[in-house]
Amino acid sequence: MTQAPPILVAGNIHKAFGANQVLKGVSLLVARGEVVTLIGASGSGKSTFLRCLNLLELPQHGELAIGAHRFAFGDGKRGPDKAQLALLRRDVGMVFQHFNLFPHMSVLDNVIEGPVQVKNMARAEAKDLGRDLLAKVGLADKADSFPSRLSGGQKQRVAIARALAMKPDVMLFDEVTSALDPELVAEVLAVISNLAADGMTMILVTHEMAFAADVSNRVGFMSEGVMAEIGPAADVIHRPQNPRLVAFLNRFHQRTIPPKVGV
Amino acid sequence: MYVWDFTALKPYWGLIWHGLGITVLYTVITVLAGLAIGLAVGILRTAGPRWVSVPLRGYIEVFRCTPLLVQLVWVYYALPVLIGVDMSAATACFLTLSLYAGSFYAEIFRGGIEAIDRGQWEAGHAIGMREGRIFRRIILPQAIQVMVPSLINQTIMQLKNTSLVSTVAVGDLLYQGSVITAASYRPLEVYTTIAVLYFVVLFPLTLVADQLENRLGAHR
Repeated sequence: MTQAPPILVAGNIHKAFGANQVLKGVSLLVARGEVVTLIGASGSGKSTFLRCLNLLELPQHGELAIGAHRFAFGDGKRGPDKAQLALLRRDVGMVFQHFNLFPHMSVLDNVIEGPVQVKNMARAEAKDLGRDLLAKVGLADKADSFPSRLSGGQKQRVAIARALAMKPDVMLFDEVTSALDPELVAEVLAVISNLAADGMTMILVTHEMAFAADVSNRVGFMSEGVMAEIGPAADVIHRPQNPRLVAFLNRFHQRTIPPKVGV
Repeated sequence: MYVWDFTALKPYWGLIWHGLGITVLYTVITVLAGLAIGLAVGILRTAGPRWVSVPLRGYIEVFRCTPLLVQLVWVYYALPVLIGVDMSAATACFLTLSLYAGSFYAEIFRGGIEAIDRGQWEAGHAIGMREGRIFRRIILPQAIQVMVPSLINQTIMQLKNTSLVSTVAVGDLLYQGSVITAASYRPLEVYTTIAVLYFVVLFPLTLVADQLENRLGAHR
């Protein structure tokens, strides 16, 4: 895994909302095919950092390189224009906590909206692609349904298919199971596991510790706007060094951490 | 006891139909112009820079907070003096009614656009779409769904408001009514007929509105 060239480099990312300094210089290097999970208490900056990776949030300072897309932020530097942002996001898929499906479109139309509108793919071709992706997430029979007819787990799987339809280099998952009923979490995690097995590069923000330990190559612990600890999943979750990480994990221990994990 | 005699209106039906035509024509034109103004102003109010959105707010409040009759009279009598351009009654009516409708439609559009969850914009951005396309493809179709009842309401008001053009001698339905009343001395029959005609035009519109609302809301 470490031999693969990095597909994503984020360097010294700073982000403040007004006087609230949320990210105080966060760096991350992700190899192609790697799965990195970010954990941490709410307010630690992990979601903000994830949103900086497709520039839904623009950092005040720092650098970001994903594939051929390169951005630098800081004093005197001109921010990226809208065309550059759109080009970056074609290659970086994102799945949201609250799905954000387009309620006025069928499931299939949700999935093909990106390829048809952004990549000018022919509708027929896009529909084939869309049906393949829906089959992949186990929703082949829901192509013509509307999002309001689906369960939360189904909605989230459609959202994953919609992101995949752009054939992204990197996928970002922002607490994608947090809004789901507990019994629906597993079906979404299974889809993400399959993507990991396919070699998709992924960065996840999640509170599912057992899943993080199981699916990730590396886990990063964020606390108060910095990457407090990062390393192989088994080390970070089962042999934590940082006292704040120890305290954070203790709150999850009895519930979700498996006794042993094979990575 | 008053004895109704609608046959007295018989010679005037041509005038009544003509008046109704003018009323519908003014409504259609000023609703379309008002929608165009409202959409543009509504978008600029939500997404435009401050030096655009603040004056537009001024426009909206001026037209919402003064009586339409006052606006109409002012545009017809005062504005030509100020700018030194003669304006026909028809032009003054068209201008005023369009701007008046536009100010209300603008607020409906703004409200509808702002009612759509920010996550919809983000989802559009996340698949590489740009603002304009997100607005057309994702936001506006949903916003219109939210706005339909208010838009229909405003359009119904607009048709009724056109009756004010009679005050500057534009020959709409109400104006013809006053002309016919003066000639026939049958005000009860005339104004009852006119009220019924307004109702007959507008009531089906409210039914269409209900239908549309149900259909648009089907996927919610």
